[in-house]
Amino acid sequence: MTIDNDRKRMEDALKNAFRRQSPPDGFADRILARVAKQNSVQSRPGQRDSWLRLFAQPLRWAAAGALAAALVAGGIHYRQVQYKAEHERVEGEAAKQRLMLALRIASSKLQLAKSKVYEINAGQTENRDEKE
Amino acid sequence: MAEPLAAEKAADVAESDFAEIVHRHQVMVYSIALHFLADRSEAEELAQDVFLQLHANLASLKSDDHVKFWLRKVTGHRCIDYKRRRALPQVGLDDVPESAAPAKARDPLLSRRLRQLVGSLPEKPRMIVILRYQEDMAAEEIANVLAMPVATVKSHLQRSLAMLREKMTRALGEVTT
Amino acid sequence: MRMTMKMLWLVLLLLSPGVARAQDIKLPADVEKLSAKAKETVEVTMDGPMLRWASKFLSAEDPEEAKCAKLVANLKGIYVRSFEFDKEGAYSAADVEALRSQFHPPVWSRVVGVRSERDGDNVDIFFRMEDEKMAGIVIIAAEAKELTFVNIVGPLEVDQLADLGGEFGIPKLNPKSLSKAQKGDRR
Repeated sequence: MTIDNDRKRMEDALKNAFRRQSPPDGFADRILARVAKQNSVQSRPGQRDSWLRLFAQPLRWAAAGALAAALVAGGIHYRQVQYKAEHERVEGEAAKQRLMLALRIASSKLQLAKSKVYEINAGQTENRDEKE
Repeated sequence: MAEPLAAEKAADVAESDFAEIVHRHQVMVYSIALHFLADRSEAEELAQDVFLQLHANLASLKSDDHVKFWLRKVTGHRCIDYKRRRALPQVGLDDVPESAAPAKARDPLLSRRLRQLVGSLPEKPRMIVILRYQEDMAAEEIANVLAMPVATVKSHLQRSLAMLREKMTRALGEVTT
Repeated sequence: MRMTMKMLWLVLLLLSPGVARAQDIKLPADVEKLSAKAKETVEVTMDGPMLRWASKFLSAEDPEEAKCAKLVANLKGIYVRSFEFDKEGAYSAADVEALRSQFHPPVWSRVVGVRSERDGDNVDIFFRMEDEKMAGIVIIAAEAKELTFVNIVGPLEVDQLADLGGEFGIPKLNPKSLSKAQKGDRR
């Protein structure tokens, strides 16, 4: 049938057009490198969220260095205001990350509870079906 | 049947399996993103983000089947969200200019043409077509991944294919038996 | 109760000032000591003012962060303590029970109590109601290598919190997808 042939041709053409394609060379390595970098910032014995403090510290040091240079040139008051704003921004970003981490954990445990309820219900349904 | 992972026991996916998971599924994830976004660098960036997200959620994944399901789901949602955030103007299928010369079957230009036409679909139908033809997924599986009713998936698929068929028939020329 | 479950997360809830002050929630001493054995510990303590301040840095343009901002707008505190262990058996049933026993009527109602015999994961969720409104939630998730305790103080839309799973890239659970995952994909 012409219609079936057309449909078949279209299906084959679409499968061909959407064949999987390999990512660029080094794709997996780049991911693993990013994970390793995240882990090296995060891992402190017993304190997962201390990476936030680790991250904030160099930024504070960098901000303090910029401030010292500006004091030499002059404009002390203006630089003090800038430093305070930068410091607050860094602290705020760190706090935001902690907040999102907490919500992420809470959400994942709610999802865990849901999944357990579904598992149990699915098991009960299967058992009932088997008995019938 | 669920595939056992490299680890011997049917346990949670351990971090040590992450590299193996990346190698096993990178083509799938990257391809979904590439076919949806039609941009290699955007696809790579999105695919990387998906795997980083996977890494953060490893503890909650129980098997390789679950990992695959999770990756398809997250990649699909991220692609759709990505496009919506950028609010690119949608080009209707009817607005996509047809090529002047008819294309032959199995012609590489045909594949490119099909991808262009699918790329002009709205986000959800586009992802449905990609999951159907790249991943050979059934409508029910697509519905689970995209959290949509099965009937909606089938309807989108039907309409998209009808429009593609019409466009391609015009491009290919009339088929006679 | 079977205790073949693996340790998963232990989240400790610290009391927040305000609403929860009258109902101090204390981490049992034995549970406190778990941090010494844990491979990783997550500890987040944010009271009302800290939440307000952190929320200022949430971007309205990012869908995830916008949802978080909406969720925390009226909260008085978020407390999380989580322990992850290398091996099973790092904590005991008695440790978890000592934690659970603090949440009882009339202040707290247990709305979910799941005991999974398949993998031993246990999850309890308690609500605190005041004047027929949600005033707080406690989640205790005891898994093989992880023990997690979460306390959120203040009015909270639990569905909104659970929905965040999708925003964080965690798939929202669909019972049909779960049963299919158990049966295996076709490919």
